[in-house]
Amino acid sequence: MSKMQLITKGILKENPTFVLILGMCPTIGVTSSAINGMGMGVATMAVLIMSNVVISLIKNLIPSKVRIPAYIVVIASFVTIIEMLMKAYVPSLYEALGVFIPLIVVNCIILGRAEAFASKNNALDSALDGVGIGLGFTLSLTVVGMVREALGSGSFFGMPFAEDVMPLVFILAPGGFIALGYLMVLFNKISKR
Amino acid sequence: MKSSLKNMVLVLFTIGGVSALLVGLVHNITKDAIAQAEEQKKNKAKFEVLSTTESEAVILEDATRKIGDFEVKVSTVASRATNEIIGYAVEAPSITANGYSDRIYLMVGFVETDGEVRINSVEVLSQKETPGLGANMTKPGNKLENSVLGKNPATMTFKVKKDDPRGSFDALSGSTISSRAYANAMETAYAGYLWAKGVIVAKDNDATAEELVEESVVVEEESMGEEMEDNMGSATQKGEVGHE
Repeated sequence: MSKMQLITKGILKENPTFVLILGMCPTIGVTSSAINGMGMGVATMAVLIMSNVVISLIKNLIPSKVRIPAYIVVIASFVTIIEMLMKAYVPSLYEALGVFIPLIVVNCIILGRAEAFASKNNALDSALDGVGIGLGFTLSLTVVGMVREALGSGSFFGMPFAEDVMPLVFILAPGGFIALGYLMVLFNKISKR
Repeated sequence: MKSSLKNMVLVLFTIGGVSALLVGLVHNITKDAIAQAEEQKKNKAKFEVLSTTESEAVILEDATRKIGDFEVKVSTVASRATNEIIGYAVEAPSITANGYSDRIYLMVGFVETDGEVRINSVEVLSQKETPGLGANMTKPGNKLENSVLGKNPATMTFKVKKDDPRGSFDALSGSTISSRAYANAMETAYAGYLWAKGVIVAKDNDATAEELVEESVVVEEESMGEEMEDNMGSATQKGEVGHE
Protein backbone atom coordinates (compact mmCIF):
# COMPACT_ATOMS: atom_id res chain seq x y z
CA MET A 1 0.00 0.00 0.00
CA SER A 2 1.43 3.38 -0.95
CA LYS A 3 1.96 6.07 1.66
CA MET A 4 -0.79 8.21 0.19
CA GLN A 5 -3.25 5.34 0.33
CA LEU A 6 -2.50 4.90 4.02
CA ILE A 7 -3.85 8.39 4.63
CA THR A 8 -6.83 8.37 2.26
CA LYS A 9 -8.14 4.98 3.31
CA GLY A 10 -8.96 6.36 6.73
CA ILE A 11 -11.18 9.01 5.21
CA LEU A 12 -13.29 6.81 2.90
CA LYS A 13 -12.66 3.07 2.78
CA GLU A 14 -11.98 2.63 6.48
CA ASN A 15 -13.73 5.67 7.90
CA PRO A 16 -13.80 4.95 11.65
CA THR A 17 -17.26 6.35 12.30
CA PHE A 18 -19.24 5.43 9.20
CA VAL A 19 -17.54 2.21 8.08
CA LEU A 20 -15.60 0.67 10.97
CA ILE A 21 -18.22 1.93 13.47
CA LEU A 22 -15.55 2.45 16.10
CA GLY A 23 -15.60 5.03 18.89
CA MET A 24 -19.38 5.40 19.05
CA CYS A 25 -19.31 6.61 22.65
CA PRO A 26 -17.41 9.86 21.99
CA THR A 27 -19.22 10.21 18.67
CA ILE A 28 -22.64 10.38 20.30
CA GLY A 29 -21.33 12.18 23.38
CA VAL A 30 -19.53 15.15 21.93
CA THR A 31 -21.10 15.83 18.54
CA SER A 32 -23.82 18.07 19.93
CA SER A 33 -22.13 20.89 18.04
CA ALA A 34 -19.79 21.01 15.06
CA ILE A 35 -16.96 22.68 16.94
CA ASN A 36 -17.08 20.05 19.71
CA GLY A 37 -16.91 17.27 17.14
CA MET A 38 -13.95 18.91 15.50
CA GLY A 39 -12.14 19.39 18.83
CA MET A 40 -12.63 15.77 19.76
CA GLY A 41 -11.42 14.68 16.31
CA VAL A 42 -8.26 16.77 16.47
CA ALA A 43 -7.43 15.65 20.00
CA THR A 44 -8.00 12.01 19.05
CA MET A 45 -5.82 12.37 15.97
CA ALA A 46 -2.93 13.74 18.01
CA VAL A 47 -3.12 10.88 20.51
CA LEU A 48 -3.66 8.28 17.78
CA ILE A 49 -0.56 9.26 15.83
CA MET A 50 1.64 9.21 18.92
CA SER A 51 0.21 5.99 20.37
CA ASN A 52 0.53 4.22 17.00
CA VAL A 53 4.19 5.16 16.81
CA VAL A 54 4.91 4.07 20.39
CA ILE A 55 3.05 0.78 19.99
CA SER A 56 4.78 -0.07 16.74
CA LEU A 57 8.15 0.63 18.36
CA ILE A 58 7.55 -1.63 21.36
CA LYS A 59 5.53 -4.32 19.54
CA ASN A 60 8.38 -6.80 19.48
CA LEU A 61 8.91 -6.60 23.24
CA ILE A 62 5.38 -7.55 24.23
CA PRO A 63 4.29 -11.20 24.57
CA SER A 64 1.19 -11.63 22.40
CA LYS A 65 -1.05 -12.98 25.17
CA VAL A 66 -0.78 -9.80 27.26
CA ARG A 67 -0.61 -7.29 24.42
CA ILE A 68 -4.04 -5.72 25.03
CA PRO A 69 -3.48 -4.80 28.70
CA ALA A 70 -0.01 -3.60 27.80
CA TYR A 71 -1.43 -1.33 25.06
CA ILE A 72 -4.10 0.04 27.38
CA VAL A 73 -1.58 0.95 30.07
CA VAL A 74 0.71 2.60 27.53
CA ILE A 75 -2.11 4.60 25.95
CA ALA A 76 -3.69 5.64 29.25
CA SER A 77 -0.47 6.89 30.81
CA PHE A 78 0.38 8.60 27.56
CA VAL A 79 -2.93 10.47 27.49
CA THR A 80 -2.66 11.39 31.17
CA ILE A 81 0.79 12.87 30.58
CA ILE A 82 -0.46 14.88 27.60
CA GLU A 83 -3.38 16.16 29.66
CA MET A 84 -1.15 17.32 32.51
CA LEU A 85 1.33 18.99 30.17
CA MET A 86 -1.46 20.78 28.32
CA LYS A 87 -3.07 21.97 31.56
CA ALA A 88 0.24 23.32 32.80
CA TYR A 89 1.80 24.96 29.78
CA VAL A 90 -0.96 25.67 27.22
CA PRO A 91 -4.03 26.36 29.37
CA SER A 92 -5.83 28.04 26.47
CA LEU A 93 -5.58 24.89 24.34
CA TYR A 94 -6.64 22.84 27.35
CA GLU A 95 -9.68 25.07 27.72
CA ALA A 96 -10.75 24.20 24.17
CA LEU A 97 -9.86 20.50 24.05
CA GLY A 98 -9.44 19.54 27.71
CA VAL A 99 -12.85 17.95 28.22
CA PHE A 100 -12.17 15.49 25.40
CA ILE A 101 -8.78 14.29 26.57
CA PRO A 102 -9.90 11.83 29.29
CA LEU A 103 -12.52 10.48 26.87
CA ILE A 104 -9.80 9.51 24.43
CA VAL A 105 -8.36 6.92 26.83
CA VAL A 106 -11.49 4.82 26.49
CA ASN A 107 -11.82 5.45 22.76
CA CYS A 108 -11.65 2.09 21.05
CA ILE A 109 -10.29 3.63 17.85
CA ILE A 110 -6.94 4.07 19.54
CA LEU A 111 -6.86 0.49 20.79
CA GLY A 112 -8.35 -0.79 17.54
CA ARG A 113 -5.63 0.78 15.43
CA ALA A 114 -2.93 -0.36 17.86
CA GLU A 115 -4.18 -3.93 17.51
CA ALA A 116 -5.08 -3.94 13.82
CA PHE A 117 -2.30 -1.84 12.36
CA ALA A 118 0.47 -0.58 14.61
CA SER A 119 1.28 -4.00 16.02
CA LYS A 120 2.01 -5.31 12.52
CA ASN A 121 3.66 -2.34 10.77
CA ASN A 122 6.65 -0.05 11.17
CA ALA A 123 6.63 3.31 12.92
CA LEU A 124 6.32 5.50 9.81
CA ASP A 125 3.39 3.58 8.34
CA SER A 126 1.72 3.55 11.75
CA ALA A 127 2.06 7.32 12.02
CA LEU A 128 0.52 7.74 8.56
CA ASP A 129 -2.28 5.39 9.49
CA GLY A 130 -2.86 7.55 12.56
CA VAL A 131 -3.07 10.65 10.36
CA GLY A 132 -5.54 8.98 7.99
CA ILE A 133 -7.83 7.51 10.61
CA GLY A 134 -7.58 10.71 12.66
CA LEU A 135 -8.58 12.83 9.65
CA GLY A 136 -11.47 10.50 8.88
CA PHE A 137 -12.64 10.64 12.49
CA THR A 138 -12.35 14.44 12.60
CA LEU A 139 -14.26 14.89 9.35
CA SER A 140 -17.07 12.52 10.25
CA LEU A 141 -17.45 13.95 13.77
CA THR A 142 -17.59 17.45 12.33
CA VAL A 143 -20.26 16.43 9.82
CA VAL A 144 -22.37 14.68 12.47
CA GLY A 145 -21.91 17.68 14.74
CA MET A 146 -22.93 20.10 11.99
CA VAL A 147 -26.12 18.18 11.27
CA ARG A 148 -27.08 17.81 14.93
CA GLU A 149 -26.28 21.43 15.72
CA ALA A 150 -28.25 22.70 12.71
CA LEU A 151 -31.29 20.57 13.55
CA GLY A 152 -31.11 20.84 17.33
CA SER A 153 -30.04 24.38 18.10
CA GLY A 154 -30.41 26.07 14.72
CA SER A 155 -26.84 27.26 14.37
CA PHE A 156 -23.79 26.65 12.21
CA PHE A 157 -20.45 26.46 14.10
CA GLY A 158 -22.00 28.49 16.89
CA MET A 159 -23.55 31.13 14.61
CA PRO A 160 -27.33 31.00 15.02
CA PHE A 161 -29.50 31.07 11.89
CA ALA A 162 -32.87 30.11 13.34
CA GLU A 163 -34.89 30.82 16.49
CA ASP A 164 -34.93 28.17 19.20
CA VAL A 165 -38.02 26.30 18.12
CA MET A 166 -35.81 23.48 16.91
CA PRO A 167 -36.27 19.80 17.89
CA LEU A 168 -34.11 19.62 21.00
CA VAL A 169 -33.86 15.85 20.74
CA PHE A 170 -31.04 16.20 18.21
CA ILE A 171 -28.79 17.68 20.88
CA LEU A 172 -29.51 14.73 23.17
CA ALA A 173 -28.22 11.19 22.72
CA PRO A 174 -31.31 9.70 20.98
CA GLY A 175 -31.14 12.37 18.29
CA GLY A 176 -27.45 11.63 17.97
CA PHE A 177 -28.22 8.05 17.02
CA ILE A 178 -30.90 9.13 14.57
CA ALA A 179 -28.64 11.63 12.83
CA LEU A 180 -25.72 9.19 12.83
CA GLY A 181 -27.86 6.41 11.34
CA TYR A 182 -29.08 8.51 8.44
CA LEU A 183 -25.61 9.90 7.78
CA MET A 184 -24.22 6.35 7.75
CA VAL A 185 -26.77 5.33 5.12
CA LEU A 186 -25.92 8.36 3.04
CA PHE A 187 -22.17 7.83 3.38
CA ASN A 188 -22.30 4.17 2.42
CA LYS A 189 -24.65 4.87 -0.49
CA ILE A 190 -22.22 7.45 -1.89
CA SER A 191 -18.98 5.59 -1.20
CA LYS A 192 -20.18 2.20 -2.49
CA ARG A 193 -20.95 3.60 -5.93
CA MET B 1 6.85 -12.73 20.73
CA LYS B 2 5.97 -16.07 22.26
CA SER B 3 4.29 -15.85 25.66
CA SER B 4 5.55 -17.61 28.71
CA LEU B 5 4.47 -16.94 32.27
CA LYS B 6 7.85 -15.42 33.04
CA ASN B 7 7.95 -12.90 30.19
CA MET B 8 4.25 -11.97 30.53
CA VAL B 9 4.67 -11.10 34.20
CA LEU B 10 7.94 -9.35 33.54
CA VAL B 11 6.66 -7.24 30.64
CA LEU B 12 3.39 -6.21 32.30
CA PHE B 13 5.24 -5.40 35.50
CA THR B 14 7.82 -3.31 33.66
CA ILE B 15 5.25 -1.45 31.57
CA GLY B 16 3.12 -0.74 34.63
CA GLY B 17 6.12 0.42 36.63
CA VAL B 18 7.57 2.63 33.91
CA SER B 19 4.16 4.19 33.16
CA ALA B 20 3.47 4.89 36.83
CA LEU B 21 6.90 6.40 37.22
CA LEU B 22 6.47 8.64 34.19
CA VAL B 23 2.98 9.80 35.19
CA GLY B 24 4.20 10.54 38.71
CA LEU B 25 7.20 12.39 37.41
CA VAL B 26 5.17 14.55 35.04
CA HIS B 27 2.64 15.20 37.81
CA ASN B 28 5.39 16.47 40.06
CA ILE B 29 6.83 18.71 37.36
CA THR B 30 3.49 20.15 36.30
CA LYS B 31 1.47 20.44 39.50
CA ASP B 32 2.78 23.88 40.45
CA ALA B 33 2.30 25.16 36.93
CA ILE B 34 -1.26 23.76 36.85
CA ALA B 35 -2.18 25.38 40.16
CA GLN B 36 -0.64 28.62 38.95
CA ALA B 37 -2.55 28.51 35.66
CA GLU B 38 -5.84 27.97 37.52
CA GLU B 39 -5.09 30.75 39.98
CA GLN B 40 -4.23 33.04 37.08
CA LYS B 41 -7.47 32.23 35.30
CA LYS B 42 -9.45 33.04 38.44
CA ASN B 43 -7.49 36.21 39.01
CA LYS B 44 -8.09 37.35 35.45
CA ALA B 45 -11.80 36.65 35.86
CA LYS B 46 -11.89 38.91 38.94
CA PHE B 47 -10.90 41.87 36.80
CA GLU B 48 -12.86 40.85 33.73
CA VAL B 49 -16.20 40.66 35.52
CA LEU B 50 -15.66 44.28 36.55
CA SER B 51 -14.72 45.32 32.99
CA THR B 52 -11.18 46.22 33.96
CA THR B 53 -7.72 44.69 33.68
CA GLU B 54 -4.91 43.86 36.02
CA SER B 55 -2.88 46.81 34.74
CA GLU B 56 -5.64 49.29 35.55
CA ALA B 57 -6.92 47.93 38.82
CA VAL B 58 -5.71 46.30 41.98
CA ILE B 59 -7.30 43.97 44.52
CA LEU B 60 -7.66 45.84 47.81
CA GLU B 61 -8.94 42.99 49.88
CA ASP B 62 -9.71 39.28 49.59
CA ALA B 63 -12.22 37.93 52.07
CA THR B 64 -13.69 34.46 52.49
CA ARG B 65 -16.99 33.67 54.11
CA LYS B 66 -18.20 30.18 54.82
CA ILE B 67 -21.79 29.21 54.12
CA GLY B 68 -22.10 25.72 55.52
CA ASP B 69 -19.22 23.80 53.96
CA PHE B 70 -18.88 26.16 51.05
CA GLU B 71 -16.69 29.17 50.57
CA VAL B 72 -17.74 32.46 49.08
CA LYS B 73 -14.77 34.63 48.19
CA VAL B 74 -15.19 38.37 47.81
CA SER B 75 -12.46 40.51 46.28
CA THR B 76 -12.67 44.26 46.53
CA VAL B 77 -11.20 45.76 43.37
CA ALA B 78 -10.06 49.37 43.17
CA SER B 79 -8.70 51.51 40.39
CA ARG B 80 -4.92 51.94 40.40
CA ALA B 81 -5.13 55.54 39.25
CA THR B 82 -7.74 57.00 41.60
CA ASN B 83 -7.76 54.38 44.34
CA GLU B 84 -11.56 54.37 44.15
CA ILE B 85 -13.41 51.10 44.55
CA ILE B 86 -14.57 49.85 41.16
CA GLY B 87 -16.63 47.00 42.47
CA TYR B 88 -16.68 43.58 44.05
CA ALA B 89 -15.84 40.29 42.36
CA VAL B 90 -17.54 37.40 44.12
CA GLU B 91 -16.70 33.75 43.53
CA ALA B 92 -19.61 31.57 44.58
CA PRO B 93 -20.81 27.98 44.17
CA SER B 94 -24.36 26.75 43.73
CA ILE B 95 -25.29 25.36 47.12
CA THR B 96 -28.88 24.19 47.45
CA ALA B 97 -29.56 23.61 43.75
CA ASN B 98 -26.97 21.47 42.02
CA GLY B 99 -26.24 21.42 38.33
CA TYR B 100 -26.96 18.38 36.20
CA SER B 101 -23.71 16.70 37.16
CA ASP B 102 -21.76 19.00 39.45
CA ARG B 103 -21.81 22.28 41.32
CA ILE B 104 -21.55 25.42 39.29
CA TYR B 105 -19.02 28.06 40.25
CA LEU B 106 -19.63 31.63 39.15
CA MET B 107 -17.54 34.78 39.33
CA VAL B 108 -19.92 37.71 39.54
CA GLY B 109 -18.95 41.37 39.34
CA PHE B 110 -21.03 43.80 41.41
CA VAL B 111 -20.64 47.49 40.62
CA GLU B 112 -22.23 50.37 42.50
CA THR B 113 -23.47 53.37 40.58
CA ASP B 114 -25.48 56.18 42.21
CA GLY B 115 -25.92 54.15 45.36
CA GLU B 116 -27.46 51.27 43.45
CA VAL B 117 -25.75 47.95 42.96
CA ARG B 118 -25.73 46.33 39.52
CA ILE B 119 -24.48 43.04 38.16
CA ASN B 120 -21.78 44.10 35.76
CA SER B 121 -20.76 40.76 34.31
CA VAL B 122 -20.75 37.04 35.06
CA GLU B 123 -18.20 34.38 34.27
CA VAL B 124 -18.78 30.66 34.74
CA LEU B 125 -15.64 29.38 36.47
CA SER B 126 -16.51 25.70 36.39
CA GLN B 127 -19.41 23.57 35.21
CA LYS B 128 -19.89 20.04 33.92
CA GLU B 129 -23.28 20.46 32.26
CA THR B 130 -24.41 18.74 29.05
CA PRO B 131 -22.63 20.17 26.00
CA GLY B 132 -25.15 21.88 23.74
CA LEU B 133 -27.69 22.31 26.55
CA GLY B 134 -26.66 23.35 30.06
CA ALA B 135 -23.11 24.11 28.97
CA ASN B 136 -24.53 26.95 26.89
CA MET B 137 -24.40 29.00 30.09
CA THR B 138 -20.75 29.69 29.28
CA LYS B 139 -21.60 31.25 25.93
CA PRO B 140 -21.73 35.04 25.83
CA GLY B 141 -25.24 36.44 25.48
CA ASN B 142 -27.07 33.32 26.67
CA LYS B 143 -30.50 33.65 28.25
CA LEU B 144 -29.30 33.24 31.83
CA GLU B 145 -26.62 35.87 31.44
CA ASN B 146 -29.07 38.19 29.72
CA SER B 147 -31.53 37.87 32.58
CA VAL B 148 -29.01 39.25 35.10
CA LEU B 149 -26.68 41.66 33.29
CA GLY B 150 -27.16 45.26 34.38
CA LYS B 151 -29.90 44.31 36.82
CA ASN B 152 -30.08 45.35 40.45
CA PRO B 153 -29.87 42.09 42.44
CA ALA B 154 -31.95 43.60 45.27
CA THR B 155 -34.96 43.65 42.93
CA MET B 156 -34.39 40.13 41.64
CA THR B 157 -36.03 36.88 42.68
CA PHE B 158 -33.44 34.12 42.44
CA LYS B 159 -35.75 31.59 40.85
CA VAL B 160 -36.25 30.26 37.36
CA LYS B 161 -39.42 31.67 35.74
CA LYS B 162 -40.75 28.16 35.15
CA ASP B 163 -40.72 27.43 38.92
CA ASP B 164 -41.89 30.79 40.16
CA PRO B 165 -43.73 33.38 38.06
CA ARG B 166 -41.88 36.17 39.88
CA GLY B 167 -38.50 34.56 39.13
CA SER B 168 -35.95 36.71 37.30
CA PHE B 169 -34.20 33.94 35.36
CA ASP B 170 -35.12 32.79 31.87
CA ALA B 171 -34.10 29.13 31.77
CA LEU B 172 -31.86 27.85 28.99
CA SER B 173 -34.02 25.78 26.68
CA GLY B 174 -34.00 22.15 27.78
CA SER B 175 -31.87 22.80 30.86
CA THR B 176 -34.05 23.83 33.78
CA ILE B 177 -31.84 22.02 36.29
CA SER B 178 -28.69 23.80 35.13
CA SER B 179 -30.58 27.10 35.17
CA ARG B 180 -31.74 26.53 38.76
CA ALA B 181 -28.14 25.91 39.82
CA TYR B 182 -27.07 29.09 38.03
CA ALA B 183 -29.76 31.12 39.81
CA ASN B 184 -28.70 29.59 43.11
CA ALA B 185 -25.02 30.38 42.56
CA MET B 186 -26.03 33.93 41.68
CA GLU B 187 -27.97 34.19 44.95
CA THR B 188 -24.94 32.88 46.85
CA ALA B 189 -22.78 35.49 45.15
CA TYR B 190 -25.21 38.25 46.10
CA ALA B 191 -25.23 37.02 49.70
CA GLY B 192 -21.43 37.19 49.62
CA TYR B 193 -21.56 40.76 48.34
CA LEU B 194 -24.08 41.79 51.01
CA TRP B 195 -21.91 40.21 53.66
CA ALA B 196 -18.80 42.04 52.40
CA LYS B 197 -20.72 45.33 52.48
CA GLY B 198 -21.75 44.67 56.07
CA VAL B 199 -25.44 44.73 55.16
CA ILE B 200 -25.89 41.32 56.68
CA VAL B 201 -24.08 40.51 59.86
CA ALA B 202 -22.00 37.36 60.04
CA LYS B 203 -24.06 35.81 62.79
CA ASP B 204 -23.65 32.14 62.00
CA ASN B 205 -22.02 30.11 59.31
CA ASP B 206 -24.91 27.72 58.83
CA ALA B 207 -27.33 30.18 57.25
CA THR B 208 -28.16 29.39 53.63
CA ALA B 209 -27.83 31.94 50.88
CA GLU B 210 -31.64 32.35 50.77
CA GLU B 211 -31.72 33.15 54.47
CA LEU B 212 -28.93 35.66 54.09
CA VAL B 213 -30.60 37.46 51.20
CA GLU B 214 -33.94 37.41 53.05
CA GLU B 215 -32.19 38.85 56.07
CA SER B 216 -30.88 41.70 53.96
CA VAL B 217 -34.38 42.51 52.78
CA VAL B 218 -35.51 42.69 56.38
CA VAL B 219 -32.62 44.97 57.30
CA GLU B 220 -33.53 47.33 54.48
CA GLU B 221 -37.14 47.36 55.57
CA GLU B 222 -36.07 48.17 59.10
CA SER B 223 -33.98 51.11 58.06
CA MET B 224 -36.84 52.38 55.90
CA GLY B 225 -39.12 52.00 58.88
CA GLU B 226 -36.90 54.21 60.94
CA GLU B 227 -37.16 56.93 58.32
CA MET B 228 -40.93 56.66 58.12
CA GLU B 229 -41.90 56.87 61.73
CA ASP B 230 -45.58 56.07 61.06
CA ASN B 231 -44.77 52.63 59.78
CA MET B 232 -42.23 51.88 62.41
CA GLY B 233 -44.38 49.44 64.34
CA SER B 234 -45.27 47.20 61.46
CA ALA B 235 -41.76 47.27 60.06
CA THR B 236 -40.22 46.12 63.31
CA GLN B 237 -42.79 43.41 63.47
CA LYS B 238 -41.75 42.19 60.08
CA GLY B 239 -38.16 42.36 61.18
CA GLU B 240 -38.87 40.16 64.15
CA VAL B 241 -40.64 37.64 62.00
CA GLY B 242 -37.70 37.56 59.66
CA HIS B 243 -35.19 36.95 62.40
CA GLU B 244 -36.96 33.97 63.85
